[in-house]
Amino acid sequence: MTKKLKILLIEDDMIEIMKLNRTISTLKLDHTIIEANNGEDALQLLEQKDNLPDIILLDLNMPKINGIEFLSILKKDDVLKYIPTIILTTSNNQKDLLECYKIGVAGYVLKPLKYEEYVSKIEKLLSYWSINELIVV
Amino acid sequence: MSQEQVQILQRALKREKAARKAAESILEEKSRELYFTSQRLEQLLDEKSSQLQGVFENIVDAYVVMDLQGNFIKFNEAATKLFGYDISREKVNVVKLIYKEDYPYAIASFTQLQTKGYFKNYEARVYTKSKEVKWVHINASVIFDKDKNPVAAQGIVRDITDQKESEEKLIASENRLASLIVNLDSGIVLEDENRNIVLTNNKFCELFNIEAKPSDLIGMDCKAASEKNKVLFKNPESFLQRIRAIDAAKKVVIGDDLEMVDGKILERNYIPIIIGGSNKGYLWTFKDVTLNRTYRKSLEVQKQKYYNIIANMHLGLIEVDTKGKILMVNQSFSEMSGYSMQELSGKLSKEVFPIDKKSSEIIKDENIKRNKGEANSYEIQIKNKNGEEKYWLVSAAPNINIEGVQTGSIGVTLDITDFKNLELQKEKLLSKLEKSNDELQEYAHIVSHDLKSPLRSIHALVSWLKEDNQGKLDDVSIQNIGLIETTLEKMEQLITDVLNYSSVGAETSLKTEVDLNSLVNELVSILYIPEHIQIKSLHALPNINGDRTKLQQLFQNLISNAVKFIDKEQGSIIIDVEDLKSHYKFSIQDNGIGIEKKYHDKIFKIFHSLKKSKDSSGIGLSIVKKIVNLHEGEIWLDSKPNIGTTFYFTLKK
Repeated sequence: MTKKLKILLIEDDMIEIMKLNRTISTLKLDHTIIEANNGEDALQLLEQKDNLPDIILLDLNMPKINGIEFLSILKKDDVLKYIPTIILTTSNNQKDLLECYKIGVAGYVLKPLKYEEYVSKIEKLLSYWSINELIVV
Repeated sequence: MSQEQVQILQRALKREKAARKAAESILEEKSRELYFTSQRLEQLLDEKSSQLQGVFENIVDAYVVMDLQGNFIKFNEAATKLFGYDISREKVNVVKLIYKEDYPYAIASFTQLQTKGYFKNYEARVYTKSKEVKWVHINASVIFDKDKNPVAAQGIVRDITDQKESEEKLIASENRLASLIVNLDSGIVLEDENRNIVLTNNKFCELFNIEAKPSDLIGMDCKAASEKNKVLFKNPESFLQRIRAIDAAKKVVIGDDLEMVDGKILERNYIPIIIGGSNKGYLWTFKDVTLNRTYRKSLEVQKQKYYNIIANMHLGLIEVDTKGKILMVNQSFSEMSGYSMQELSGKLSKEVFPIDKKSSEIIKDENIKRNKGEANSYEIQIKNKNGEEKYWLVSAAPNINIEGVQTGSIGVTLDITDFKNLELQKEKLLSKLEKSNDELQEYAHIVSHDLKSPLRSIHALVSWLKEDNQGKLDDVSIQNIGLIETTLEKMEQLITDVLNYSSVGAETSLKTEVDLNSLVNELVSILYIPEHIQIKSLHALPNINGDRTKLQQLFQNLISNAVKFIDKEQGSIIIDVEDLKSHYKFSIQDNGIGIEKKYHDKIFKIFHSLKKSKDSSGIGLSIVKKIVNLHEGEIWLDSKPNIGTTFYFTLKK
């Protein structure tokens, strides 16, 4: 049975948000998307402990708190650190990749140029996580 | 005759009778006296002759008497003992006693005895009965009878063997002494009280260039000689004055230096010889000390030389005792520190030079090491007299005296403030450079991200347009949308290449042993190679110490370039390698379109694609060059338009 996921998308690019939303609706998936335009907003959302997301999709290049800083804060939190966080980014910088896995991420997905490829990647990603057992706080 | 006459005659007779009687009694008296006297004389004579007899018999020296033929007729006890013969039992002739070599002398002496009647001080050797040789001294005389005819000879013989021996010993030791003096390494002149030479030696003659034997100088007047010889000395007048002064004072003078014209330096001693309070002469000794003096002089010169070096070298020199008290500094140290020797002398170095905590820790540690006898060098930061901060390089060694006890330390200091500042500046620059390099790297990533994001968005938006207007768009619009997508792809590739270019060399490359043979084979199988193109390797490629990913990038770029530009029906790509000393030289040859000479340099520069095409960003060869450089190699090419191109490059083994 596939789970219905509550996904927190942390992304400052409006079109990227549209892409994910459109992808989910195109694929007719029954997941909920919570949007946060930056790390600060996301942290605010995550304060509501009774409404925590199942997974987080995180962009690295963001204003204010960037992705890696946000990740560090997340992993220091006794509760939030259990939420699988998948990086969704343009950067194939080895340094970033290493840093992210060091802090602790559940995945690192590069945003492709072509929209069709993007759809394909997201489909696989979400189908993977919807069959995973997740910690419910 | 008258009575009277008779009476007179009678009285005269009577007187005559009385007188005769008186005379007779006197005579009697006298003759008695005479008798007694003669008696006494005889007695005396006997006494004397027996006395004399006793003297001869009993004298310590031997007394001998012989007849005119030389046969001994009398030996006293000493003679018997001396010669060992008992002449009462055997006949002994004097000839038997004469020592062979002394025979002529003996005969001469005998002739003298015969003619003159005596000989004196005969000294010769004789044989005793036991054939022992003895030295004897003989005085002899002839004995005459009452008619003055010679009847015998007598002699007193003294045994002088012992005396002779000690005399010989004395002579021998005198000879030894004389030859010692003659051959002494010091010149010697012994003068009598009138300053005439009694004795001198070879060395003296040699020192003063006198061409005569030492014995020839005996008796010469030294006073006159010194006046004459003054020209031999550098300062003749003061030489004479000094001699006169010494002569007048008559006191011992030791160690006067005389400089001679020929460069010799003599040391002169003067000793008056005084025996029993009276002056018996003077002893002068001269010694050639030229060498000693020159040694001392050259030692002085050396000392002065090192002193000058120490004083003038640009290194500071400081000597401290075991407690750190300053004993000595050189001029350079004074200049470096700003303090004069007077200001520093006796002060504790740590009090004069206030230093930071780190430097004082260093000094403490190093002093402990040095007290164990280790020499060391270290850097410290100090403040000079003007309060300026200076960096000094100190090299110090324990100062150990002849007994092996450490008496302190000697330090050489070098002001390295300028170096240090440069070093600090360099460090700063380096870290700045590193930072800016990092920033640049980051920047490239961010830029590429920021450039790619809009492309992605455009792509998504175009896709949606297509999706949302399916069936509403004409063929031309759909074709145009396709062109937009292609352009976007090309744009993205460009951005990727730029990022790659900036990454080469920026990322810390990991060098490992890379098998180029398998690397190239792998590449050939992965790359798209059209059917009409053949790739050949002439020789097996070597293993190289390098960055695998980058080497792959290098070969991939060159091979795909070759593939890309082949315009012939039968394409050929030939890969070869040549072993140079420290490098390998690779070549990749194609039979493509070729490159005009004027472009040979340009093509390695970024964005210089000669043939604008969909899959050529003009970055490939600049990346190749960068990779070759990273492997300490060079790249160049040979090409003829329309015939083909060969790229050569070297890689360090």
